[in-house]
Amino acid sequence: MEKIQVIIMPEGINVEVEKGSTLLDAANAAGITMKTSCGGQGTCGRCAIKVLNGNVQGGDGNLSKAHKAEGYLLACTATVDQGPVTVDFPESSRLSEHQVLLDDSVDDIIKENRTDDFEDTEAPFVRKVQVTLTEPNLMENASDFARLSTELRSILETEHITISYDALKTLPLKVREQNWQVTVTCLMQEDAAEIIRVEAGLVDTPPYGIAIDIGTTTIAVALVDLATGKKIHQNGTFNRQASMGDDVISRIVYTEEEKDGLKEIQDVVLETINGLLDEVYDEENIRPEEVSAMMVAANTTMVHLFLGIEPKFIRREPYIPASAQFPVIKAKELGIHIHADGAIYCFPAVASYVGGDIISGALLTGLEKQEEFWLFIDIGTNGEMVLGNSDLLMCCACSAGPAFEGGGITFGMRAMAGAIEKIVIDDDFKVSYVTVNNAPAVGICGSGLIDCLFTLRKAGIINRQGKMQQVDTDRMRQGEEGPEFVLVHAAESGIGKDIVVTEADVENLIRAKAAVFAGIRVMLNKMELPFEAISKILIGGGFGNYLNLKDSIQIGLLPDLPAEYYDFIGNSSLKGAYMALLSRKVFEHSVELGRGMTYLELSDGNEFYDEYVQAMFLPHTDMSLFPSVED
Amino acid sequence: MAVQILKEKYAQPIRTFKLGATAEEGGTRCCSLAIGGEGTLPFQHYEGVNPNKPIVAMEVNTMIDLDWNENLKNAIGAQYIGNPTEWAKYVKEVGADAIYLKLDSADPDKGNDSPEKCAQLTKDVLAACDLPVIVAGSGNSEVDEEVLMAVADATKGENLLIGFAETEHYKSLVAACLGNGHGIIARSPLDINICKQLNILISEMNMPLERIVIDPLVSSVGYGIEYAYSIMERGRIGALTGDKTLSMPMIATVGFESWRQKEAWSNTEDFPQWGEQADRGPAWEAVTAAACLQGGVDILCMRHPVAIKSIKRQIDALMVK
Repeated sequence: MEKIQVIIMPEGINVEVEKGSTLLDAANAAGITMKTSCGGQGTCGRCAIKVLNGNVQGGDGNLSKAHKAEGYLLACTATVDQGPVTVDFPESSRLSEHQVLLDDSVDDIIKENRTDDFEDTEAPFVRKVQVTLTEPNLMENASDFARLSTELRSILETEHITISYDALKTLPLKVREQNWQVTVTCLMQEDAAEIIRVEAGLVDTPPYGIAIDIGTTTIAVALVDLATGKKIHQNGTFNRQASMGDDVISRIVYTEEEKDGLKEIQDVVLETINGLLDEVYDEENIRPEEVSAMMVAANTTMVHLFLGIEPKFIRREPYIPASAQFPVIKAKELGIHIHADGAIYCFPAVASYVGGDIISGALLTGLEKQEEFWLFIDIGTNGEMVLGNSDLLMCCACSAGPAFEGGGITFGMRAMAGAIEKIVIDDDFKVSYVTVNNAPAVGICGSGLIDCLFTLRKAGIINRQGKMQQVDTDRMRQGEEGPEFVLVHAAESGIGKDIVVTEADVENLIRAKAAVFAGIRVMLNKMELPFEAISKILIGGGFGNYLNLKDSIQIGLLPDLPAEYYDFIGNSSLKGAYMALLSRKVFEHSVELGRGMTYLELSDGNEFYDEYVQAMFLPHTDMSLFPSVED
Repeated sequence: MAVQILKEKYAQPIRTFKLGATAEEGGTRCCSLAIGGEGTLPFQHYEGVNPNKPIVAMEVNTMIDLDWNENLKNAIGAQYIGNPTEWAKYVKEVGADAIYLKLDSADPDKGNDSPEKCAQLTKDVLAACDLPVIVAGSGNSEVDEEVLMAVADATKGENLLIGFAETEHYKSLVAACLGNGHGIIARSPLDINICKQLNILISEMNMPLERIVIDPLVSSVGYGIEYAYSIMERGRIGALTGDKTLSMPMIATVGFESWRQKEAWSNTEDFPQWGEQADRGPAWEAVTAAACLQGGVDILCMRHPVAIKSIKRQIDALMVK
């Protein structure tokens, strides 16, 4: 196959791709991740690039008129037949390093909600023990493994000791290297232990584990010292699968439509995870083989894609996953950068659209042991929630869509540098805003969009239906797709063009908030409970941390309850995974927790749709639900 | 032992709208009609109050096009067609409670009457007949805004009811009605949520809820009246159980809806098995009106004198406690 040379500007990276490849392939080859929410279908119009020198074919698709006029093409539809080609891949078309919620308050939350629950039931997944063996002789000639097993049985108080193939191969030399003193790492089960690593001598370093949250949008990992239970290091990034579609449905579609799509999409997530782990190991100066266990919290589709399990029946009625529980997997089977024989545990799922990440979050909140009703909402792409107490638990997924994460919004973006996260519009329509890292504005992230909806309404720029009003400012104008309001003028933006919010954006946001609120209402209706029956609402998700509560209520996203009802618990999925990684009992409890949840299928019947339509108003068609909302 | 009748207790009654202002009230109408005020579902006298009779407003149209059935025109009187003021006088003769003045001539395709002309026509009708008046635009949203503003300005103090406000354009009409003391018809397309939203949007412009009348956009018998009925009933129950954004009287353009249907206008020769069109037409209108009454409609806008007379009799019978 003929190779074509592509020079990627402004870096000047030189890559070779096969003749007929797209410029998106070229970017990937150079390790640059482009924005492609549509999965490279030419429909989202975000991977705009400009050919500086040479010729390309195609490049058509959903491009704005302005972009077309300036000679931009879409990277995903533009192919190269002859080289070399020099192409500018502008910053605004690339995904930059993602800001992922990483915070450390998990210990406080566990203390608050989980006092003493699991303290006297210590049951670690991994034990690392120092053993001094008696030297064999002609009379006492048991094998090395038998010798080690005997000692371990008494130390671990476990009957069944096994050893992995790789560990066995090293055993004879390791036991003799330091005078019959070894340190062994064992994977623990109920009354059984498997030796996966043998180190010569008495080694003091602790066994490590990894807790991981594989989100549709972001991935976060935590390195944990399994001996002390301390979190050593945390790291996060965006899920590079985002270039194969913004939500779980479009990812599943990708696996069906692309050749080897499932393999490809699995590889991307494995690479993303391994990249994160390698960074953590570098920082902490440890080696992958020192890590023996990994606890995975992810939604059902993400687990399927992570494990390479056929996901296509998840998206078809009646929405069936391969399994609600997943086997323990050896790291070498997936190629995850921990010890090759290290164990990977996945949280069980409740249903196709309520996954392990929600069980993990519920585990963290401790709502299953409350007398009063608690509500846990994970405001992400799926918008899952759990309502209940010690007597019953009900969960549902309201498919809010990616709007609050920036998807489907003209200038929406994830919470990266330059994302507007706070907006104020005064009476003269003067706009002031705050961006992540105070970088020049390049788009608006979820919390900014909530602020935006509220402040547009407050300033009279949109009415309660989300329709743009004729207001007296040049910021209000007619755009290509209807009325739009200019938040940031091109001169001060970081992308060289105006950042606007359109009437269609507002509509998308109203749909997303209506879905979340309708989900809450339907669950309460099913249990015949008024809002007042809830004594606490826990908001999780990467975006929950910088959510403006007042604005969220004013737009009708969250129930009109006083601030003391609300707790923001941040990345509940990762924190729950961290908790479960520390104890087999906790993990087993989470399996029970998952089994105890009743899944409410919102697409069944008209009730959800009814509530959803009622909520398509700011704040709601039934204003009596929002007594605190000002006119 | 006597049977205990179970009675529903409702949280709030329907608001009462006053249509038309008498001389004492600053207008020139013969009477001021109280509309709405129900404390229970329609005609459930044993359970709560139905203080005000539903009223019938007879349509006076400033432009009759070819759509109007010959028998209908003859029943009204050919001499009134094209003569709104005389037609208005005839409304009182028929015994209707109010005039429903429909300004179809404002439509650029049906006469293109200017806003000033329409305002004058309205004033002429008010001068010709002293019944309370409901005014509706041509249905062409491009011209109606200005036409209705001119009408509202020219009739200040008469307590008209003017329509139609819809979610896409309501602001100028609300402003015009508000400033001139008129009531406003809030029309939503058979959708309870849009209905509520529109009422909220209108009331947020400081229009008192007492001056809003809901048009749920009914249909006729045979064309989805069941659905229209269920929307009306749902709205009415919602209102009675405490939803103030639904607590307004309802209006229905029964005449327009009924006479669109072939069952009302088709010739006897074409459908002999359907019976005489001269009888069938008004019957279709009257039956549609009867269904609307059961749904809780307070103002019936109708066309055929026979249908009007028969539904008036039915209302009287239904109001007997």
